[in-house]
Amino acid sequence: MNFDDYQKAWQAQDSRPSVALNADALLEEVRRKQQGFRRMIFWRDVREVGVAAVLVPVFIHSGLTVSWTLHLAAFGCFVVGADMVLDRRRQKRKTPDVHASLKEWAATSLAEVNHQIWLLQNILWNYLLPLGVPLFLFFGWCAWSLPLPIPARVFSFLVLSGFVALVDVVLYWLNQYAVRKGLEPRRQELAELLRSIDPEQPGAGIKSGKPLGPLLLVVGVCITAVILHHFLNAQG
Amino acid sequence: MNTHEQEAIFRRWLDAHVGLMLKIVRGCAATPADQDDLFQDVLLQLWSSIPAFRGDAKETTWIYRVAFNTALAWRRGERRRRIGQETLVKYDPAPTSHPGHADALSEPEMVAQLYTAIRELPKLDASLALMHLDGLSYQEMAEVLGISVNHVGVKLNRIRRQLAEKLKGVRNEL
Repeated sequence: MNFDDYQKAWQAQDSRPSVALNADALLEEVRRKQQGFRRMIFWRDVREVGVAAVLVPVFIHSGLTVSWTLHLAAFGCFVVGADMVLDRRRQKRKTPDVHASLKEWAATSLAEVNHQIWLLQNILWNYLLPLGVPLFLFFGWCAWSLPLPIPARVFSFLVLSGFVALVDVVLYWLNQYAVRKGLEPRRQELAELLRSIDPEQPGAGIKSGKPLGPLLLVVGVCITAVILHHFLNAQG
Repeated sequence: MNTHEQEAIFRRWLDAHVGLMLKIVRGCAATPADQDDLFQDVLLQLWSSIPAFRGDAKETTWIYRVAFNTALAWRRGERRRRIGQETLVKYDPAPTSHPGHADALSEPEMVAQLYTAIRELPKLDASLALMHLDGLSYQEMAEVLGISVNHVGVKLNRIRRQLAEKLKGVRNEL
């Protein structure tokens, strides 16, 4: 018996191997799942951007009643939310087509995973610091306004900022954990697949640059606002 | 493309090519639960892909691509919950192999051994093996995978040897 015998046995499998299909129910299920999938994507987007969208008016209102520095926190939230939306739109165009050839599909999927890893590895620059810098400024303003000696004000600032820093550390760690456990194995799997398809054309690696745009924008606006505020106060 | 056309194509593909889809599913997932899970994913992706089908590629090439790409993206650990869900596809489980009875194997047992051997191959090789066993031409396989015909030939020679090696415990003449 040789390979051809095995192949014959393989091809002798009934083209419909004892299969009983309920086509109507199956079609209904496929439709239901597609709707469920769309709903899931929609709510994932809403969840990610929604937090920023809710915080912007909250900070604007607080800026009017508590401290003008919270307007900068609103701006930070807006920048982070807008950055998420823009990135999602850019990536949507690069989503792999499931009907593409395996090589194309693997290359696009690898690029997509690489981008996700890059985003999460740089969450400090993308999201945490653009949100954190205005909050640190607010805590600085709060501490400075306290009727306490300077060392006590500094201590108050460190305590308040330390809390935000701790939350940031936890968020950063959670994201790096997600990269290590979920995305990195997937990346290696896809890279290996691509290498096996075409050893001379390895897929692109993870970008090395840091996404400093949102942070620089927020820091720039914060510095300008502080200088302007100081200037306007000095004017009278 | 309106929904009726999409539905008509889906039903036609399901009717004509369900065997092909099941072979791929069985070649990529081992347990019946995983196979059921993957099969439903393949159907979902196939349904979603229909509006992009313009007839440039052969139907089977299209279905192979969608099924392989879905199988490669599918991960056992991420199985969705399907508790309480009605079984929509009922098919006899693949026969189990009995490596000790090399000379008295029935066709279903040989097929079962092939499935076991294919699942042990790297993913790309498993895809090629499945298409090769189905009798696709080198050109068709190259179109599904997006590689050159020569590359297919080189890889298939190695895959045949690997499969023979894996089946050696059962068939020494390979």
